[in-house]
Amino acid sequence: MSATNQVTVSEESPRVHSRELVLLLCVLALLILLALTAVLSRLYHKKVHTMADAMFTQGEADEQAGNVAAALADYRNALAYNPGNARFQFNLARALEAAGRSEEARAYLLNLLSESPGSGAVNLELARIAAHNGSMADAMRYYQSAIYGEWDADPIAMRWQVRKELCDVLLSRGALKQAAPEVIALQENTPADDFPRLKIVAQMLLRTQQWNRVQDLERLLLAADRNDQESLAGAAEAAFQLAQYQTALGYFDRLPRETREQPDLSNQFDMARRVVTADPFLPGLSMEAMARRAASALALAQSRAQSCARQTGHPLEQTPPQTDLQKQFAQVKNMQRDWSERNLLRFPDRVDDAMNFVFNVENAAASACGEPQGDDRALWLLGRSRQAVNR
Amino acid sequence: MSENAVTPSTPVAAAAPAPGTMDASATRSRTRSRWEAWTHSVFTLREDRFFLLLSVIIGVFSGLSVVCFRLAIEWTQIMLLGPSLSPSFPRVVLAPVLAGLAVALLAIHVFPHVRGSGVNQIKSAVYISNGYVPFITVAGKFVTCALAIGSGQSLGPEDPSLQMGAGIASLIGRSLRLSQEKVRLIAPVGAAAGLAAAFNAPIAAVLFVIEEVIGTWSSGVLGAIVLAAVSSVVTMRAFLGPESLFRVPPFRVAGPEEMLAYAALGVAGGGVSLVLLKWIAYARPKMKALPHWTQYLQPAASGLLIGLIGIRFPQVMGAGYAVVDQAMHGQFGWKLLLLLAALKLLATGFSFLSGTPGGMFAPALFIGAMLGGAIGSMEHHFFPSLTATVGTFALVGIGTLFAGFLRTPITSVFMVIELSGNYTAILPVIISTMIAYVISRAYQKVPLFDVLARQDGVVLPSIEERREMMSIDVEDAMRTDGFLVCEPEEPIVEVARRAEANPEADLLLRMRPGEWWLLDREDVLRLASNAARTTTPIRAKARGPVPYLFRDQSLAEALQVIGDWPLLPVASRANLGQLEGKLTLADTLHAFRKAPKEE
Repeated sequence: MSATNQVTVSEESPRVHSRELVLLLCVLALLILLALTAVLSRLYHKKVHTMADAMFTQGEADEQAGNVAAALADYRNALAYNPGNARFQFNLARALEAAGRSEEARAYLLNLLSESPGSGAVNLELARIAAHNGSMADAMRYYQSAIYGEWDADPIAMRWQVRKELCDVLLSRGALKQAAPEVIALQENTPADDFPRLKIVAQMLLRTQQWNRVQDLERLLLAADRNDQESLAGAAEAAFQLAQYQTALGYFDRLPRETREQPDLSNQFDMARRVVTADPFLPGLSMEAMARRAASALALAQSRAQSCARQTGHPLEQTPPQTDLQKQFAQVKNMQRDWSERNLLRFPDRVDDAMNFVFNVENAAASACGEPQGDDRALWLLGRSRQAVNR
Repeated sequence: MSENAVTPSTPVAAAAPAPGTMDASATRSRTRSRWEAWTHSVFTLREDRFFLLLSVIIGVFSGLSVVCFRLAIEWTQIMLLGPSLSPSFPRVVLAPVLAGLAVALLAIHVFPHVRGSGVNQIKSAVYISNGYVPFITVAGKFVTCALAIGSGQSLGPEDPSLQMGAGIASLIGRSLRLSQEKVRLIAPVGAAAGLAAAFNAPIAAVLFVIEEVIGTWSSGVLGAIVLAAVSSVVTMRAFLGPESLFRVPPFRVAGPEEMLAYAALGVAGGGVSLVLLKWIAYARPKMKALPHWTQYLQPAASGLLIGLIGIRFPQVMGAGYAVVDQAMHGQFGWKLLLLLAALKLLATGFSFLSGTPGGMFAPALFIGAMLGGAIGSMEHHFFPSLTATVGTFALVGIGTLFAGFLRTPITSVFMVIELSGNYTAILPVIISTMIAYVISRAYQKVPLFDVLARQDGVVLPSIEERREMMSIDVEDAMRTDGFLVCEPEEPIVEVARRAEANPEADLLLRMRPGEWWLLDREDVLRLASNAARTTTPIRAKARGPVPYLFRDQSLAEALQVIGDWPLLPVASRANLGQLEGKLTLADTLHAFRKAPKEE
């Protein structure tokens, strides 16, 4: 555009002055509108946030009162006025989950997760939904994210709690192998003086069959409270499973009768007592007692072999012997005189061989006829523990 | 002409005051001179640049207006329906009825132009009334739409926002006495600003105005539209925050098999768009034909119907963004989603046909989201291997219905991308929107805005038709024979010999590449009859240089240059010295006559 095309004020002064005025008025109007909008916006937001907070509080109250439907409506109303509020969304998701609408809850939680992927609380809720839906791979992933995620208040306690929940979920599904490392990690993250939590861990270790850890932990707990029944029971079970029958019996004996006779404990207590009664190798036994126990065990083993042979229909005297049981029985016929109570008393070194025979017979019978019961089971358990010790 | 600079006079140099005369008048004089210097610096802007500056001011104004408008709707809703998403029984019926009566009274007696489509009113401003949008309509839209939408009428705030922006822009443009051309263009600038603030989506707003209002990518107005849209969104976000109208959950598009699911959504979206379009096209004239006194009752009657629906399904009331948000987050089962889509369609039809002021954008988004969510849920139900969330389908559904119903496919695609902030949505959105668009276009030839305009007795240019109008090019009319190219050094005897061999051919002299002259055939023959062997055609009578064309130019362009020339050479773009054909006025007119006519 050439300069000659420009129109000057002197040529069109009314028009230009009018524009100045209009522009000035525009700016003034803009400022007034800006101020008005700011005031209105502030008033509106204040009002709306107050309403949203009130609805949210009402929702929390409803949720605590167990009225999930009302809580849902309140949370939704609150969210309508403050849609970006993560706390509102989170509570709504939790209420939806409580109402069994896990897919809807999941949608909200995923949205929250996209905004704060490290949130421990959101990951935990997603883990619960995944676990509820049976998606264990997702559940594990979310639980792990929750354990290592961010927590607003008391993160150490929350992480411990989440890991415990993960262990519970895995144990409830019978995933003992997956649960074991988590329970061990839980134990590692439990302070040594936090006895209530240690007791929880001990129970989980029991469920994951970490017997040595259970035993150590229960000992620690019993050192603090030697009469704690839960710890005594746990220690007894651990000792029993570790084939420390005499130790187990010691713990069982410290339990009150009514506790000891609870179904889950009474069998173990009975078996521990039988094992200890039958064990010829128990330290401090007299030679007579040892010989008597060995002879008694031999008689029991022969009886078990005969009953098992009847059960299977393979006679023990068959020649040549075919089954393990027949082979073992053939041996006992040869050694019957050497292993009489009198000879065992005279030659205590024969006790070992005699008892090995007993254990072999019990094992062979267990293989052929199933696990034994009563005193036979006591001998069978004793044999297994001896074999383990020998190994 | 717009290029005339709007320039105040050169600032008058302030006279230097004499020593010792620094009194009040001198101070005033200095102040005045500074003021003049400032105004000079401002007003020396050429009108194009001044227009850009104005577009920012318009954008801020529009942004503020939209903020106030949205606040007014929210306040009205809280006051009339209460704060709960599920209003109590008396309110849910009484509020829309009473508000409907009030709106009817206002629309008939106070704001007579608030009814109807804002888009069409802006197009009328651009194409009929030289950019004039009455400001009272802005105020009217603000009041009546806030009342209607706030009371639960199934309409949206976008169309009124668009019109408010245009009205503000028009007022400013007229007050500043801009050139006629700029005043005409300033209304779409304001419209883009208003729509951008209402949608919180500047790109979609710019595209919509270009796609539906202006129809061309005019560089003269594009910059202003973009600036206005951006400044209005910035202003709006300063008060209402940067969040989208609804929160879009994270999503991804897994495999090509999912595209089939989106194609199915496109088919369904096209069908539903058609239902709404056909219903409005059919029922609106019938409603308008009812006795005048019924206009007082129509909004109230529609309010009553919507209120009755709202007793059980309050989700269909109002603009429904919160419900879209819930659908995005998988809060409804597919049956409820389908039901909500159907009820919203009904409610929107009632509201719009009753003449209640308000826009159709938000209802289209709502119906699209519900339909998308329903199809997504169903597909999940029957094909559990599909990994896309219901939210993804709801989002794509929004674009689908928008494209099918409003017939703005490009806007629809970009709107979804802008709302989601996720580019991965582009493939499903393109597939779905294009299918819906094609279906809608196939069974409803005239788009919504054109239908409404024609029903109102106004013939506005159809942007869709204009967009798809076939262009007739030079190559459709030119002849590739009937001419002879002569060289300046060629003996005229030789030229005459060739001319005699081709008695109908025109003689074109190629002086140099890109410079063509038309030789007088008779004169060439006359000179050749007694000329020496060395005589060249330059000595013959000739006209030139003749303007030349290229074969891909439109015939409209050719008509502009053909003037009195008997023919125009058609040159090759690769070699301006190579002639590809010739074009005459008769050939041009013949091509126009035989061109296929648009229905």
